[in-house]
Amino acid sequence: MNKKKVTITIIALSFLAFAWIGYITLNPDQENPGMIRFLSLADIQTVNQTERIRLGGLVSPGTILVSEQNLLECKFHLEQGEHTVPVQFIGTRPDLFKDEAEVIVEGIFVDGLFKADQLQTKCASRYEGDLRDESSYKSEAI
Amino acid sequence: MTPVLGSISLSLALGISAVSILLFSLFLKSEDYRFYLAGWRAALSVSVLSILATFFLLNELLISNFDIKYVAHYTSLETPTFYKITALWAGQSGSLLFWLFILSVYSLIVLAQYKNSFTKLMPWVSIVLVAVQSFFLILVNFVENPFSPTDADFVVVNGNGLNPLLQNLTMAIHPPTLYLGYVGFTVPFAFAIAALVTKDTGSLWVRSIRRWTLIAWLFQSGGIILGGWWAYQELGWGGYWAWDPVENASFMPWLTGTAFLHSIIIQEKKGMLKTWNMILILLTFTLCIFGTFLTRSGVMSSVHSFAVSNLGPVFLGFIAILLVVCTFLIIIRFPILKSEKQIESFTSRESGFLFNNVIFCVICFAVFWGTIFPVLSEAIRGEKITVGAPFFNQVNVPIGLMLLFLTGVGPLLVWRRTSKEAFIKNFTIPVLTGLVIFVFCFSIGLRNATLISFPLCGFVTMAILIEFQRGIKSRVTRFNESFLGALKMLISKNRSRYGGYIVHLGIMFMFIGFSGNAFDSETEFAIKTGETKEFGGYNFELVNIQTIERPNHIAWIAGLNVWNFHHELVTTLFPEKRVYFYKDPNPDKRQPHSELDIYSTLNKDIYSIFSGVDMEQQIAYLKIMINPLVWWVWFGGYVLIFGTMISLWPAKDSE
Repeated sequence: MNKKKVTITIIALSFLAFAWIGYITLNPDQENPGMIRFLSLADIQTVNQTERIRLGGLVSPGTILVSEQNLLECKFHLEQGEHTVPVQFIGTRPDLFKDEAEVIVEGIFVDGLFKADQLQTKCASRYEGDLRDESSYKSEAI
Repeated sequence: MTPVLGSISLSLALGISAVSILLFSLFLKSEDYRFYLAGWRAALSVSVLSILATFFLLNELLISNFDIKYVAHYTSLETPTFYKITALWAGQSGSLLFWLFILSVYSLIVLAQYKNSFTKLMPWVSIVLVAVQSFFLILVNFVENPFSPTDADFVVVNGNGLNPLLQNLTMAIHPPTLYLGYVGFTVPFAFAIAALVTKDTGSLWVRSIRRWTLIAWLFQSGGIILGGWWAYQELGWGGYWAWDPVENASFMPWLTGTAFLHSIIIQEKKGMLKTWNMILILLTFTLCIFGTFLTRSGVMSSVHSFAVSNLGPVFLGFIAILLVVCTFLIIIRFPILKSEKQIESFTSRESGFLFNNVIFCVICFAVFWGTIFPVLSEAIRGEKITVGAPFFNQVNVPIGLMLLFLTGVGPLLVWRRTSKEAFIKNFTIPVLTGLVIFVFCFSIGLRNATLISFPLCGFVTMAILIEFQRGIKSRVTRFNESFLGALKMLISKNRSRYGGYIVHLGIMFMFIGFSGNAFDSETEFAIKTGETKEFGGYNFELVNIQTIERPNHIAWIAGLNVWNFHHELVTTLFPEKRVYFYKDPNPDKRQPHSELDIYSTLNKDIYSIFSGVDMEQQIAYLKIMINPLVWWVWFGGYVLIFGTMISLWPAKDSE
């Protein structure tokens, strides 16, 4: 038993580990992929129906429709420049979800409808944005 | 007045840091002790001034001086005093100052403790510490000055207030703890650089460096666990670890730091792996700086990131300098870092440590790869990609299981070479325990990674218990001690070793908790008062929704009865939906927030989130999760902290 053997084993092990990381990078789990493409609405037509993707954009004003049967289900149009895509989302809508809110959705694009199961709104900029202006002091005890 | 004093302290500190480095250099050249003393005093003043500046900022926060931008952005008149203090690390410039503050406290301790010891190393240790301080001083002086005045064109009567997510006790402790960890690695780093420069690679300083690393490691571990605890209690997505870039940033130095803590033992005992240890500790510190960079620069979007700032290039520059200097030093000192002995066998404890190191580094690389992949992908292929938790889990679960296996194997191996007889004697009971658990898990139908992880947990536990039992037995026969007396003596005579085993037990408990993750389930429903919904073996009954106005927010509280199938009331949960600043005329400035409620037991947590409310129709939108075994993650965390403290506790009869 000598140093050489140990060195070789360690190199071999590291090599195996790198191969494993590379393998997972190139062959992610199809059902629950860890790597998701973030596309622009212009590119969405090229996506196949099984790939999970992410889209970002604004909620088109006046397009939010909440289903009567299932209060968790809603439909709206997502717009980005001149492109719009209809989105269906089932789940709890975030507090800041409303017309013209900036949102990110994740899901699949099937037959012209984006079926999202994740919806995030860009968080309110209260703590990074402008300081409170004078008008906000007038309301007492905020 | 004090804001000016704060600014002046920071500028002075920067100036004196340059003087201090100059004086130390003069000492190295002339060997005149007076230069060393002057440099030492200058270094002391740098730390004292930085600490003073921090107290000045704290004072401004407490008296709500909204003329300072930082105070106006992160506190308001209504912010409770306690959170006015914690606002010190709530924002960008404040937290950079806080980094500097902690480093200054550590520096003071090092400067005072080793003033007249390690005479060869100390000038260099001091130079490195002051150099790192001066980097942060440059940041707070020129890039993000915490004392800069408000830029509004009106008189700021009230500030913005602290984000409600941060108004939480855990959130008050988590950042400082993590910072104590991050910053703590600066001390072993400084010693390593000093050792490389002065060619003193002996093992005299190895002991004190190991202690310092252990202190940093303790805080780093505690900080990471607290962060997970906070996420679980506050963020309301039902988990404690999301592989978010900033979580990864704190995890990477932890991994290399843990590897270092193990392999330094071999250097202490056998004089081996010197180069490797140097690389590990230098890498750990660089990863700490990289982590601060990820958190502060806004390169990655994550819960932790602040607005995009111009810190990025400065940090990248510093990281580049670090990498160049470290690589250069290691290359020119390579010949003197030769091992005194060689590894003799695969079945030796040495090689066990070595494999452990390989695994830690591989996990670190996998995390690093996943973290920077989106940046690489966008730069190289122009394709935006997000890398989420499934990737990290897929990659790390098998590697993590191997690590768990080694946790059990390590203590059973003997230094140099484990003989066949010892092998059989040591492994039989742990392996049998593992097998029995495996058969049991298989028979109850487990088919995922938990089929491996539970048996491994049994194996590790048994391996550690045998170590304790063996030590106790030998003391009982040799010194005629009672069982408990022997246990106490065993631990206090070998704190570092048995403390380490307790840490391993903690890790094992945490793995039990991680395994529970495989059985998580969740549902969402809209429920009217009086209605009942069924999920996961329970009936959830919405009794009422109360509206309560509190000083700084309005809250709707759902009263949710949880019944089991035997019609017994398990618990009543009260998740809350809150809106802070609800009187703000601008709806965009109102801040909604969900305060969740958890019913926690040893085998599962029932986790409820009140995500939306419709008071007109009395409808609550709720998300319910059933998370098995999460309790064990926190319990393991306590055990880990306890074990580390045992290792750190100074021995009574120190030599």
